[in-house]
Amino acid sequence: MTARAGHISIKDVTKIFARTDLNATLVALESVSMEIEPTEFVSIVGTSGCGKSTLLRIIAGLETVTFGQAYCDGEPISGTNPKRGLVFQEHSLFPWLSVRDNIAFGLRAAGKFKSLAGLVDKLISLVGLSEFANSYPHQLSGGMRQRVSLARAIAVSPDVLLLDEPLGALDSFTRMNMQDELLKLWHEHKNTMILITHDVDEAIYLSQRIYIMSPRPGRIAGEIPLRMSYPRNRSSSEFVNVRNEILRKLDFAKEEQVEYNL
Amino acid sequence: MTDKTASLTAEPVSAADGRRLESRAPTPWELRQIEAAPKSKNRIAADRAICTLPLIIAVIVVAQYKMTPNLNDAATTNLYTGFILLMTSLVLIKYIRSFFSKTSFERLLERAPLYSVGFLLFALYDYATLKTGILPLPYFPWPDRILNGIYEDRVLLLDCVKNSLILLFSGYFAGASIGLFTGLSAGLSRRVRYWVLPLVQVLGPIPSTTWLPIILIVAASLFGGSVFLIALGVWYPLTMTSMQGVLNIPKANFEAARILGASKARLLFRVALPAAMPNIFQGLTQGMSVACTALMVAEMMGVESGLGWYINWQRGWAEFAKMYGAVIVICVTFSIVNFLLSFIKRRVLRWQEGYWN
Repeated sequence: MTARAGHISIKDVTKIFARTDLNATLVALESVSMEIEPTEFVSIVGTSGCGKSTLLRIIAGLETVTFGQAYCDGEPISGTNPKRGLVFQEHSLFPWLSVRDNIAFGLRAAGKFKSLAGLVDKLISLVGLSEFANSYPHQLSGGMRQRVSLARAIAVSPDVLLLDEPLGALDSFTRMNMQDELLKLWHEHKNTMILITHDVDEAIYLSQRIYIMSPRPGRIAGEIPLRMSYPRNRSSSEFVNVRNEILRKLDFAKEEQVEYNL
Repeated sequence: MTDKTASLTAEPVSAADGRRLESRAPTPWELRQIEAAPKSKNRIAADRAICTLPLIIAVIVVAQYKMTPNLNDAATTNLYTGFILLMTSLVLIKYIRSFFSKTSFERLLERAPLYSVGFLLFALYDYATLKTGILPLPYFPWPDRILNGIYEDRVLLLDCVKNSLILLFSGYFAGASIGLFTGLSAGLSRRVRYWVLPLVQVLGPIPSTTWLPIILIVAASLFGGSVFLIALGVWYPLTMTSMQGVLNIPKANFEAARILGASKARLLFRVALPAAMPNIFQGLTQGMSVACTALMVAEMMGVESGLGWYINWQRGWAEFAKMYGAVIVICVTFSIVNFLLSFIKRRVLRWQEGYWN
């Protein structure tokens, strides 16, 4: 066990959902195992429906596992914990709270009123929204809203930050800016980052390790360590090679799935 | 169109300190000026005439009242004249301000047709009653008589307003808080919903005033019984709307709050309650109209005070002018209550999209 907190261990996790439309069940995850070290930046890529969001929700404590066990720092995960922050894809800000109060929500829940004002102001300027501190979510653009979501999640200084396609709804320019901001946040806070994305480039640009998942049932189809230094050049030959390798594995995962069904 | 561009570009260049207008964003008022289509000379003159119209009609109202002969030489007082002049002076203040402020002018221009028709209705009613008797006494007293009725009974009426409001708000707050409690807990808990929903579905469709005859016999105090009646009427819409409000909250809001470490109490008071506020206010508005109806019925049938009692009592004396007077007082009272409610609603729901437009 390392001194730093933020170790995630998934051991042979299977998750089965009851389907509401049919009297049947659906295997979302099948025997998934992974180890994520403290301060590591890991991405999970896969096509939609491969169970990657379910996996993240299990780590967050929002879903229970059917078989197997998920651990955080050696403790079995049961229920949510502010140590494990989550940034949703969109529409998760509290619309009745201003930017400032959204970011302060977790601190207030933890009873940290003393350090609140200073920390919230610091976070607001960190994500570049000083002018909008008192605006409501509906008055912000999509990119601004995701910045607030990020600031709200890191306000409680989680050991693990779970990112569920946080940039999925953004245009490509805003997206690239936000990717740099994510790296900045990671370098400053040194927490474990687990990013879910279906954007292969995003995964390569940001992470130290990439898990590739195949759909129906969701399984780990491969694992690729990345040793490129930051900041990464999106057009370097190494970057392109890794991208091709991942795409090949994703394709392979698809073929295998067809065979499996037959 | 050329005027518009000129006003933006010419000014900064000619500014002595070389300051450029583009360096700051226009205020909302300036923006409206920039974007509004320029008005023609005739249009401006017509707008001014529309703004003057209510004042002209007001003068006609007073002139008709004072100068034309009354039917059967009925005696009149100056109370009506005073009332019309008071109304006129309020419009006159707006009229004078409209010469100095463009915003006031626009606002008056929008309101002027309404004021004109208002004054015109006064003139027509006065003509049909006091001057010609087309609408006969005692059923249709003229405005001066109604105003005198209110003036005569002003102390009693004020007392009635006080008693009505005490009864109204006792019932309203009791019903609203219990309704809020049942609605929120039914929304949050499946088990509570299982037991509460059938109860609401059985009791809800019964108009709360139906219970009045029973309450008149059973209740120990008429005041307490009426409070119960009003509360029951408010309880139903508030239970339904606040429950629906909680059920409509996106799951992501609760999940985000849980991830951030919110306790059960925080989930209830800082997530469920504010998120359901738009629905809750819908229930509060519905509940207010039910409460006002229940109040009137209770006062007319049993409670021996309040505006509903007053109007029924004056009916016994065939004092039609005072009955109409009571209707006016009721209208003013409930309008103020509703205005306050919508004022609070606007403050609380200012986070909602569309509230700024």
